[in-house]
Amino acid sequence: MSRSQDTTSLKRKREDAQQTKTPESVLLSLIKSKGDMGIWKADMKRETNLPEPVVNKALKILQGRNLIKEVVNIKSKGRKHYMAMEFQPSNEVTGGSWYTDGKLDTNYIDVLKESCLRIIKKLKVATTEGISEFITRSRITKNDCTRQQIEEILNSLVLDNEIIEVKSTGLGEYHSIPIGTECYRAAGGMGLGQGVRIGAMASFPCGVCPRLNQCTPDGIISPKTCVYYTTWLDF
Amino acid sequence: MVSQHGVKLAVYLVSSYFGDLVAKVCECLLRKGTLPLRSIIQYTELHERQVRNCLLVLIQHNCVQAFAIEQQGGFGEAPKVITQYMVLFDNIIHHMRFPKFLEIVLEEFGKECQEILEGLLQHGRLSLNQILDRHKGTSSDSEGNCPAKDAVEVCFSRLVHARYVERCPVHEPFLAPPQDETGAKKRGSKSAKVTEELTTEQRALLAAAPMEASRFLVASYADTDDNEQESEENLPSPAVGEKRKQIDSKLDTEVGTKKRKKEILWRANFEEFLRHLRNKACIANVRARFDDGVAIVLNAILEATRCSETKVKIENSVPLLVNSIFEEVIKSEDGRTMTLEHVRAALVELGCDLPSISIDETYSIDLKHIIELAQNEEVESIVLKRYGMEAYRMFRLLSKAGRLLETDKIADTVFVEKKETAKILFMLWKDDYLHLEKIVATGSRQAHFLLWKVNKQTLWGHVLDEMYHAALNLRIRTALEQEQGKEILQLPKDKLVGDLEKRHSRLRKARILLESCLMKLDDAIMLFHDF
Repeated sequence: MSRSQDTTSLKRKREDAQQTKTPESVLLSLIKSKGDMGIWKADMKRETNLPEPVVNKALKILQGRNLIKEVVNIKSKGRKHYMAMEFQPSNEVTGGSWYTDGKLDTNYIDVLKESCLRIIKKLKVATTEGISEFITRSRITKNDCTRQQIEEILNSLVLDNEIIEVKSTGLGEYHSIPIGTECYRAAGGMGLGQGVRIGAMASFPCGVCPRLNQCTPDGIISPKTCVYYTTWLDF
Repeated sequence: MVSQHGVKLAVYLVSSYFGDLVAKVCECLLRKGTLPLRSIIQYTELHERQVRNCLLVLIQHNCVQAFAIEQQGGFGEAPKVITQYMVLFDNIIHHMRFPKFLEIVLEEFGKECQEILEGLLQHGRLSLNQILDRHKGTSSDSEGNCPAKDAVEVCFSRLVHARYVERCPVHEPFLAPPQDETGAKKRGSKSAKVTEELTTEQRALLAAAPMEASRFLVASYADTDDNEQESEENLPSPAVGEKRKQIDSKLDTEVGTKKRKKEILWRANFEEFLRHLRNKACIANVRARFDDGVAIVLNAILEATRCSETKVKIENSVPLLVNSIFEEVIKSEDGRTMTLEHVRAALVELGCDLPSISIDETYSIDLKHIIELAQNEEVESIVLKRYGMEAYRMFRLLSKAGRLLETDKIADTVFVEKKETAKILFMLWKDDYLHLEKIVATGSRQAHFLLWKVNKQTLWGHVLDEMYHAALNLRIRTALEQEQGKEILQLPKDKLVGDLEKRHSRLRKARILLESCLMKLDDAIMLFHDF
């Protein structure tokens, strides 16, 4: 009994599809065509010329059948984006591997950064592969990091001036690394907590003064009456 | 062109050393460029005598160089030779660095030599006799036993030999008009080619400089006037000769009696001091980045090639054989434990490539690169202090990339949320630290991208100007603190009790802090301007 009903409904559907496509199928094929990028609801409306209630209803049905899913797009978090079930959101949508649920996972990044720095300090000189291997072996993180991720972390440590990028000379500390290989070592003299060396300008009020442009010897803002100087020279 | 605050700082310095009148003349020259006497009088609205005296002071202290130039006469008139005065901005700023110069000489040659240099710095230019006279005066005042004249002369020749003291340039060299082919050809075709690209000011400086052979020549008394002869060669027309004599006699009133007219005048060679400071800065930078070994090797190389360098702004050190480097390294106490292998490793760290065949193994260090790194470090630390860690990371990324980067790309690399990234970048852009380009893409959907870049050339100029400004502020504040605390500072020690003592020690601390900051800042100014 039920079987015959099913077949009739299927038949009807096929007939429908041949005559006029249902909003659901139109939307589904549109969403699928966008692949791992997904599509915004308003764009669907524009591209299919369907009225809003119809789109809403169809999306609900499709979601109920587990054919599509809602994803957060990093570029416009407020807008609802949809993607076919078969696809994993691309990096462009999620913001990359460092984002979870549309937010930058700073905790995870910080843990990785600190571990990398510690490893480099311990090994003195290390290549990306060496560090990556060390991290997998010691199971610092729950999920595995790709080599790409480690490289990004190391890159950011270089920007922080915590480590420096060098080429192996094959001599001394570098003996285990082939000559010419890119490797990293801790920046000399400045470790954790010590931070970056402060330059000449940055070590007194004028160097960091937001009003330096308006400052003149006898003006309203002047080194003679400067409050920053007064607090600086108050022993 | 000197930046706005550079001019202000120079004028302030001149005014504090030589008074307001001299500063006024100096400012006129700094702002309007090289001028003849007539125009200076016109612009400053001072009396001719005053302007003349001010110029003499400035010339005496090596802040102004005069030169004669032939000017096309009006219709039917013969060409005229006029004397132009150009201000030497760098030499004015060097006045701020005299304590450093004295320190260098004290370290290298001891107290005696330092006193000689002190005299030269105080008076600008002196003849050997004047140096001897001065020495007699000062040492008999303080100790009572004056060292033998010979000893002073030995000290003096040591200074000259080390190139810290040089002969003064010609008072007023004559420049042939640039369009005059024959004039240029006289100096030989090779130098004519060089002079074509130079400005009048640069040509004048070249013409005034004593010949390399005689620049550091301590001559016996017999041939003292060869400097004068040189200038005579440079001055073909009798009219110019007369003018020069005028200047000479003017100078003599300042310097001393007519008897000394033929004596050679000596002055401190700022160039050599700057080279010394540049080497020191490079070595300190290398030591901080690598280790002592690398610093020792660099020091040895710079020490060994000291005499072969010709100017301060060199890109690479003079090529040196590895054996000579090693020899120099083991001369120093710290380098004695180093092996040749060590030295080679240090050279590689300094950016040299080891040759595959070791015949004629010579090395030259990329000093420009070291200076650039030090400059980057300075600007980065300003960014860090003013805008925070995230901005620092972004700035470093852009400065390293040296090309345009898109906002999202920057955000990904520095691990900052995209919106936040844009905010920080805009802040940096607003204060001229970044260059921004907008790209509007007209595809299916309109999108615009923001691309950012560090434009080092303009930014470095901007930073240098801010440094001059900050240096001026430090000096003004130092003067103010001293002025305000004058009464307390003049009190005898036994009266300093309780509150007075506290204020006295505060004043002392403030002065030390302000002055040490100024000295450090001056290092940074040299890094951006002179090295």
